[in-house]
Amino acid sequence: MYGGNNQFDGNAAFSGGGFMPSQATQTAGDHSFSPAKNRDSQTLIPLTVKQISEAFQSSDDKTNFLVDGVDVNNVKLVGILCNKVERVTDVSFGVDDGTGRLDCFRWVNEAVDTKEMEAVTNGMYVRVHGHLKGFHGKKQLMAYSVRPVDDYNEIAYHFAQVIYVHSYNSSLRKQHDSSSMPSQVPSSSFNTPLKGYQASASNQFPGYSMDGIRGVDKMVLDYLQQPSCLALEKGVHRNQLVQQLQLPSEKISEALESLESEGLIYTTIDEFHYKSTGNG
Amino acid sequence: MDMSNPAVFVNAEFLKEHVGRKVRTVVQVMQSDGDKVIGKSTDEKELVVKGNPPNALSTFVEVIGIADTIQSIEAEIWTNFGDTFDVNSYDKVCRLANGDSKHLFI
Repeated sequence: MYGGNNQFDGNAAFSGGGFMPSQATQTAGDHSFSPAKNRDSQTLIPLTVKQISEAFQSSDDKTNFLVDGVDVNNVKLVGILCNKVERVTDVSFGVDDGTGRLDCFRWVNEAVDTKEMEAVTNGMYVRVHGHLKGFHGKKQLMAYSVRPVDDYNEIAYHFAQVIYVHSYNSSLRKQHDSSSMPSQVPSSSFNTPLKGYQASASNQFPGYSMDGIRGVDKMVLDYLQQPSCLALEKGVHRNQLVQQLQLPSEKISEALESLESEGLIYTTIDEFHYKSTGNG
Repeated sequence: MDMSNPAVFVNAEFLKEHVGRKVRTVVQVMQSDGDKVIGKSTDEKELVVKGNPPNALSTFVEVIGIADTIQSIEAEIWTNFGDTFDVNSYDKVCRLANGDSKHLFI
């Protein structure tokens, strides 16, 4: 049972651990609390609607969305405009880029906004720049630029750029992870939005490289960090570890206890099922 | 947000893998008569596009529709892409979108 391990009551509780991919562009932890001042998070990122639909939204409103471990605020989309509805203060429309359709809004405060929105009609290819927002659990784009595509090579170019940025960000992240520590746990914990966990995490992990975990502890942790084990909601039973690692059950128990006290694993449905706090 | 009906980037080669599904491709118009266009795909094969083409077609046309057979598409949306178009880049993006980067698209 959860018992005295309430602080490890599911990754979701502190939305930290491995659920927060590490932010490759933000290596210094102190930047993550001031996204407004961080220029990295203000960059315009080309994305597909599919990527946006899968973007992770942290519970913390400020941190917004994460794609490939990078903070996503401003995005660029290229697709076909649809369902355009003009209202008094704004224009709502959808953008279908072939991977999905995203709802967008454009405030029309000034004549220039009105003019730009008049120039685009349903069925037209458009390039949209905007701020990605979560609203009542739905993702929306607050567009600040909606322009018709006049050179159709831009479509292929946009998607090539999407692929490039994705592979750039994900390779940076891999490098970052492997250079810091082999496990996801320490590297990702630097960016947890909850300060409480962060404080304890940063006290714990610096200098606490995975070298500190040896022998049976390491084997157990490695086993629990396999993607197949991470995917199991209830974690792995103690007996399974005994069987798979072919070690005496006392050794396994000792290892589990020590890993649990280090905050690297936690018990799930009962005191026999364990899960890694890291998320692969 | 509606993710239910994606259109996959295809050339003639990848069209074969998506019969019955929604696809998007660009063809160079070779011959057009009423409700059928015969075009050259970005990987230089012949494709047949059925449906309701607009009156004036440019040299390059993008079509979005259902892959009918391994070499024909029942088009819903036709977009004139003009008379100059970088077929090679489109074809490369198409290969990437069906290869390593597939998860970004479908």
